[in-house]
This record gives sequence, C-alpha cells and structure tokens, in this order.
Amino acid sequence: MHPESIDSQAAQPSWNGRVKDNRVAHAALERDAELMLRVREGDQASFGLLLELHRVSVIHFIYRMVQNQAVAEELAQEVFLRVYRSRGTYEPTAKFTTWLFRIATHLGLNWIRDGRNEKLQDSLDQETSDGATRQLPDRGRTVEQELVYQAKLREIRQAIESLPSKQRAAVMMHKYEEMEYTQIANVLTCSESAVKSLLFRAYESLRTRLAHMA
Amino acid sequence: MEGCPLEKGNGAELVLSYGARTLAPDQAAAFERHMSSCAACRELAAAQQDVWSALDAWTPEPISPNFDEKLYQRILQEEQSPWWQRLFRANWSLRPAMPVAAACGVLIAAFLLRSPQPIPAPQSFSQPKVGIEQVERALDDIDMLRQIGVESSSQAHSPEKI
Repeated sequence: MHPESIDSQAAQPSWNGRVKDNRVAHAALERDAELMLRVREGDQASFGLLLELHRVSVIHFIYRMVQNQAVAEELAQEVFLRVYRSRGTYEPTAKFTTWLFRIATHLGLNWIRDGRNEKLQDSLDQETSDGATRQLPDRGRTVEQELVYQAKLREIRQAIESLPSKQRAAVMMHKYEEMEYTQIANVLTCSESAVKSLLFRAYESLRTRLAHMA
Repeated sequence: MEGCPLEKGNGAELVLSYGARTLAPDQAAAFERHMSSCAACRELAAAQQDVWSALDAWTPEPISPNFDEKLYQRILQEEQSPWWQRLFRANWSLRPAMPVAAACGVLIAAFLLRSPQPIPAPQSFSQPKVGIEQVERALDDIDMLRQIGVESSSQAHSPEKI
C-alpha cells in the first residue's frame, strides 16, 4: 500500500479509521523491514519498492523543511543513497521510517544550519534556469483565487521559516507525517517530553503568526 | 471533565491532540462538553484548528519525473567508483572516533615529553698544556725515585747486612 493512501485515511476524522490505520501501520512496519532485509541480500527490486513507498513523503518532508524543491530532491536522493549504502549493515532494530526520517531530518537540519537556504528559497517570481517564468501547477482556481492562495501560502511558509529548525522539523513530522510523539522523539533523538515542549512552543508561535488568517 | 485542563497544566497537549484528531472518542467528547462552558479552551482550540487548516493549505510541489533515474545513476556511479572512494563515502560516523583520536594525541604528546633527553655528544677533551720544564722535572723525579728504589733493594738483598 502506498504511504499516501495510509496518510489520507489517517486524516479522516473517523475514530474507527484511526484504529484501522494502526493495523495498517503495523503491517507497513513489517513490510518495510522485510523489504530492507531483501535489499541487504542483494534484491534491487525491493529497493525500488521502498523508494516507491517512501519517495513522496521524504521529498515533501524535506521540501517543507528547506522550502526549495530542487534542494529537497537533491537531499532526498542523498537520503535514499545512504539507505542503499547502509544495506549491508541494516538490522531491523528500529522502525524503518524512523531511521529514514532521521537521515532526512539530519540532512535538512544541516542544510538549514549551514545557512545555504538564505537565497535559495523558492520564490513565485523566480525564473527557472533557462529564463522561463515558473509554471504554477494548475489547481483549478481562477487567477484571483490563485493570487490569494499564493499570498496565504507565502505567509504560511514565512511562519514556518521563522520557527527554530528543530521545532520546524517536529511540526512537519507531527502535522504532515502524522507521527506520534514517541516516533518524533526517536527521529530527533530526544525525550518525548522534549518533543511535546518543542511542539507546544512551535504551535504557539504559529497561532500568533497565523491568527489573522482565520 | 473535572476542572479546566489549561489550569491543570495538560491543556496544551489536550488541545494539540484534539486539533490533530488523535484524542480517544470519549476524551474528545468530554473536552467538547468542557469547551461549551469554557471560553479560554474554546478560543485556544479554535486558534489551533485555524493553524491546522492553514497548514493543510500548503500543498507541496510536484516531484521531478526523473527523480528515480537520477538516483539510480548516482547509485551506479558509486558502485563503479574505486574501493577507496566507496570506503570514504561509507556512512561511518566520525563522532566515536573523535575521543579515540584525542586520546592517541595525548598519549603521543606524553611519550614525546617523557622520553629521555638525548645524550649530549661528548665534548672534545682538552688536553692540558704541559710545559717543557714540567716534563723535564717529571723525568728528573722519575730518575731520582728509580735510584732510591735501586739502593733500597740492594740494601735489602745484601747478606752482610743480615
């Protein structure tokens, strides 16, 4: 099952759906470990399956961290390359996604820390390398609706960007990857209470900055 | 729900979980009942819900169609690279090696500091300058001593004297 389909189910307000999701998540956990063990034994096709399953979530997670699509894809490639390099020593001691997102978070935080994001963030007015104006994805909106949407998006991105990098990573995992506190703590290698504290402070800042958008 | 969760200290977590729809159904229902009579909790939950909705609006960009192709190219390049480059790229964490390297440095420094000082090269022995007169005097003394020695031995071996 594709992870996006799991996410879309989890986003439903149905409580019964959440219980079903836990079962699906458990099956996914075993599936990922099984696939990685096959990759360890030299099965290239299993690596392709893992890539297919986690490509989107890893790229989107890094994109929201660094706010640049090209950089996000470059870093996501590095994530999967590291997974492939480590196949020989892989042991299913922890959740595969925890390991995967730990690598992704590490690369994203390093990139932010090095200050390489200052001039690289995607801008709507930015031109592509061949001089053409960026094509916005067609979301079925009118020009006015699109402009309003882009203004809103800019504010959201600025609000996220204003968060300290670790808080930003925690929010991305909590909101978009729907991870539990324990798993976020494992990814960030800190305690569960530290994660809660990070999230409370982050959402408090976001509530202040995005209050007018209601 | 007894009392306001914001006053008890667990309000933030409750509001976060409520906004994320991860509360158990009975807890969610209890919190909703409490919110109907508590303005502070109601406002906080609404603000959190607004943030949640705003973040939902952030849809990511589409992914490049050649993402996989690029990745497999990089993997192929790595596999074809010489072994020392692969070794260099291996995911070895340098963090554990740092204290070991520092300890080795300290040991080497200690060894160098405590090693015996090199023995200084023997200086050229300066011969005392001997004057000619001193030599003559010494030769005279030897002759005199020899004569005394001869006389005493002849006296000692003489039978008449015994």
